[in-house]
Amino acid sequence: MNIHKIFLVILMGLTSVAFAGNDQSADYLFEKGNAAYQNENYSEAIDQYQSVLALGLESGSLYYNLGNAYYRTGAIGLAILNYERALKWLPNDENVRFNLKLANLTVKDRIDPPPEFFLFRWIRQATNLLSSRGWGLLVGIFIGIASIDIAILIIAEVKRLRTFLKYLTGISVVIVIISMAGMIPRHRIETGKNVGIIIHYSVQSLAAPQEGSTELFVVHEGTKVAILDKDGDWLKIELIDGKQGWIPADDLGII
Amino acid sequence: MNVKKPLGLLIILIFLLVLTGATHAEELRVSASVDRNQITADDLITFTIQIEGTSDFPDVPPPQSPDFVIVAGPSQSSSIQIINGRMNASKSISWRIAPTKSGKLVIPSVSITYRRSVYKTEPVIVDVSGQSASQPQTKQVPPAPQPKASQGEGVLLKAIPSKTTVYKGEELNVAFALYFKNVRTYAPKKLPDAKGFWIEEFLIKSEPDITTENLDGVTYKKAIIKRLALFPTTSGNLVVDPFVIDAEVIVPSQRRRSIFDDFLDDSFFDNSFGQTKVVSVSSSPLRVTVQDLPELGKPSNYSGAVGRFTISASIDTAVTTENQALTLKYQISGTGNISSLKMPELQLPNTLEVFEPKIGKSVNNQGDAISGTVTYEYVLIPRSSGRIRIPPVTFSYFDPNRGGYVSATARGFDIRVNPKGKTFASDRSSLNKEEVSLLGQDIRFIRRDNSGWNQISSSVFSEFWFWLLTVSSVVILIGAISFRWWIEKLETNISFARKRRAWPKSQKAFVLLDEKLKMGDLSGLASILNQILVGFISDRLNLSSAGISVAEIESQLSEKAIADETISRIARILSELEQLRFLPTAADAEKYSALVQEEKELITLLNKAI
Repeated sequence: MNIHKIFLVILMGLTSVAFAGNDQSADYLFEKGNAAYQNENYSEAIDQYQSVLALGLESGSLYYNLGNAYYRTGAIGLAILNYERALKWLPNDENVRFNLKLANLTVKDRIDPPPEFFLFRWIRQATNLLSSRGWGLLVGIFIGIASIDIAILIIAEVKRLRTFLKYLTGISVVIVIISMAGMIPRHRIETGKNVGIIIHYSVQSLAAPQEGSTELFVVHEGTKVAILDKDGDWLKIELIDGKQGWIPADDLGII
Repeated sequence: MNVKKPLGLLIILIFLLVLTGATHAEELRVSASVDRNQITADDLITFTIQIEGTSDFPDVPPPQSPDFVIVAGPSQSSSIQIINGRMNASKSISWRIAPTKSGKLVIPSVSITYRRSVYKTEPVIVDVSGQSASQPQTKQVPPAPQPKASQGEGVLLKAIPSKTTVYKGEELNVAFALYFKNVRTYAPKKLPDAKGFWIEEFLIKSEPDITTENLDGVTYKKAIIKRLALFPTTSGNLVVDPFVIDAEVIVPSQRRRSIFDDFLDDSFFDNSFGQTKVVSVSSSPLRVTVQDLPELGKPSNYSGAVGRFTISASIDTAVTTENQALTLKYQISGTGNISSLKMPELQLPNTLEVFEPKIGKSVNNQGDAISGTVTYEYVLIPRSSGRIRIPPVTFSYFDPNRGGYVSATARGFDIRVNPKGKTFASDRSSLNKEEVSLLGQDIRFIRRDNSGWNQISSSVFSEFWFWLLTVSSVVILIGAISFRWWIEKLETNISFARKRRAWPKSQKAFVLLDEKLKMGDLSGLASILNQILVGFISDRLNLSSAGISVAEIESQLSEKAIADETISRIARILSELEQLRFLPTAADAEKYSALVQEEKELITLLNKAI
C-alpha cells in the first residue's frame, strides 16, 4: 500500500465525517417536508424534500415520501421515479411496493415484462435483502474473522480449538463470497444510471438524436426504460419489449 | 455422292436472296434544305430534312453544329401519294434553328440509318451577316430583321431585356418598346411566345407614357407597350420569339407641306388629315443564355426558388386538447419566381394528423419586379396528449444578386396537448385480478422514520469503514502468512537459520564477554573471542566451525569479495588470539578490551557484507 492510497482512504474517512453536519439539516428539512405533507401542502413538501437532495443526501424514506407528494399533485411520472429510487434503499418495503404498484396502474404504456426465470428472480430477491452497505459490512466482518482465524491457525500452536477455528474460517469465507455476490450487484443498482422513468405526459422517440428526425414510437409518463447511450442532450432508450429510440434527456428521470 | 442436291439448294437460296434484296432495294432519297440562305445573326431559319421513297420512315437525328442552336422542333409532316399505282411517300422533319455567330456557317450533313444503310444529307451553307443580339443594348442600332417596309413607315418594335444572361429561375424582364412617328393605333397580332420560360405579364397603363428617342439620327416617339417577366425553367440558350403587332400607320398626305405638318405629325392621336395603312411590325427574337444554378453550397432542401424571400410561421394556439384541430400557417413572401415556389416538407411528429395544406397565392405584377406571397395553411389534429414539438422550417432560395444560396427559417413551436380528462390505464381489460382490486385504493402514508442518510449515488465502496475492515484483514493475513514462512524457513533450512542467527548469537556472546572483562576475569578470553569471530564467519558462510584454518577463512572471505584490508585485519586478529590462547598473560585487560572492540567492529563490517 503506497502513500497515495493511504491518503485517499484517510480523505474518504474525513469526508464522511464532514457530511455528518449535513445530516442534521437534512433531518430538519425531512421533518418539515413531512409536516407539510400532513397539512396536505404537497408542493411545499416537495420543495423541502428536494432541498435534502440538493444537500447531496438521499435515503429510501425521503424518496418514498417525495413519491407520495408527487402522487398527490398528479405528477405520476415523478411519483413512480421516486418510488423506484426508494426501492433502491428499501428493496423489500411493503409500503413502497404497494404505492409503486398503485401509481403504475395509471401508466398508459402497459408493457408486460417478459416472465423472469424463477431462479433469476430468487437471486434478484436475495440480492435485494440488504443494501450494498449491509452486504459490505458482512464482507468486512467476516473477512476479518477469517483472516484472524487463519492467522491464529498458522502462527499459534493451538490444539484444542483447531477444529473449531477451521470450521469458523470455512463458514466465514462462504459468507464473504455470498456477501460479495450480493454487494456488487447492489452497488451497481445504487450507483447505476442506466434505468429511467419517463416524466412527461407523452414523449416522441426518434430514430436519431436530432430534432425533426423520423419518429419511431411514443412513450408515456411513468414508463420504465433502460438507458443505452447518451449524445449531448439526448438519451437512447430501450423499452422492456426491446424497442429503441432517442428522446430528449429532460423527458427522463434517472432512477 | 450426290452433288445435285446441294447445288439445287444453293440455287433456291440465291433466288430467295435476290427476291428479298429486290423488295429492299427501294430507293431512299434524303435531302436537307433551309428556307433562307442569307440571314442576319438575329434571324431564325427553318432547317428541313425530306425523306422520300419509303412509308417506313426511319428516325432522324437533329442537326448537330456548334454554330447553331435548335430553338424549336422537330415538327414533322408526311404525305403519301399514289400515282399510276406507284406509291410515293414523303416525310419532312424541320427544326427552327438560330445561328450563334455570323459568317459563312455550315449546317453539317445529317446521317440517317435505314435498314442497315446510312444515308447522308448534303451540308447546307448559310450566310449569316449583321449584329448579334448579345451586343450591348446601349448601342442604338435598330434590329436588322425589321422589315424595310415597316421601317419606312416609321414604326419599329424593339424587345429590351433587362439582361441577357440569367440563372435558371431568375427573373428576366423584357420591355417591348414601340418606336413610331405616326401611328394611330395598334393591335397585338402574335404575343411573344417563349419556350422554356414561365411568363408573367406586368400591368401596363392603357395610355403609355411617350418619350422621344433618337435612333440612327431619326427621332422616334417611344412607348413601352408591353412588359414581361420571364422565368427560365430550363437552362441553355433560349429564344424569346418575336412579338408581332399590327400598327395602323398614318400615311402622310401628298399635299404640300404646310407649317401645320409638323404639328399634325407630332401626334399619337387621330390624324384625320392622313390616310391610314396597317403595317405588321415584329420585334426581333431575343436570345438568352440561361445558366444552371451553382451546385456549390446548394442546400439539400433546395427546391428551385430564385429571388429574395422571407418565411414566417404562425399557429393559432399553443395549448390544445386531444383531437382538437389547430392551424399552422407558413407564409413565404418576396420577389422572384413566386409561382413555382414549393413549401419545404414538414417534419411533423406521428401524433399529429396532418391534412393537405390550403395554398394561397398572390402575385403583384406592378412595379419593377414580380413579387408576391404564398401561404400554406395546415390543419393539424393531435391524436395524443403531451408536448408536441413542431421543428423550425428552413426555406432555401438562390439569391442571384449575391450569387449564392440563402436560407430563411421560420420558427418552431412547442404545443402542449392536454389529455381529455385523466383516466386510469386506457385498457382496463389488461389489468389482472390483483390490479383491479387496487383500483379503489389510495396510497399508503409517508414514512416518518429515516434509516440514515447516504450520499447520492454512493455505495459501500465510498465508506471508510469498509476499506478499513477489508484492508486490515488482508494485512493481518499477509502478516501471518509471511511470519509462518519465516518460521518454517528457520526450521527447515540450516544455512538460512545459521545465517539469520549469527548476528544475535555474536551479540549475546559479546554481552557475556563484556561482563567477564568487567569482572577482571581474563582467563579463556582469547579462546572465546576466537570462537565468536570464527563462529560468526562460519555461520554466515555455512561452514563447519570446527578446525577451520585461518587460510581457509581468508580464501572464503575473498571469494565473497570482502575488502583485502578487512581480510588482513581478520587474519591478524585471529593469529594474535592464537598466540594469546597459549600465552594468556601476554596481554593485560586494556589490550583485551581493544581486541574486543576491534572484533566488534569487524563483525559489524561483516554483518553488512555477507
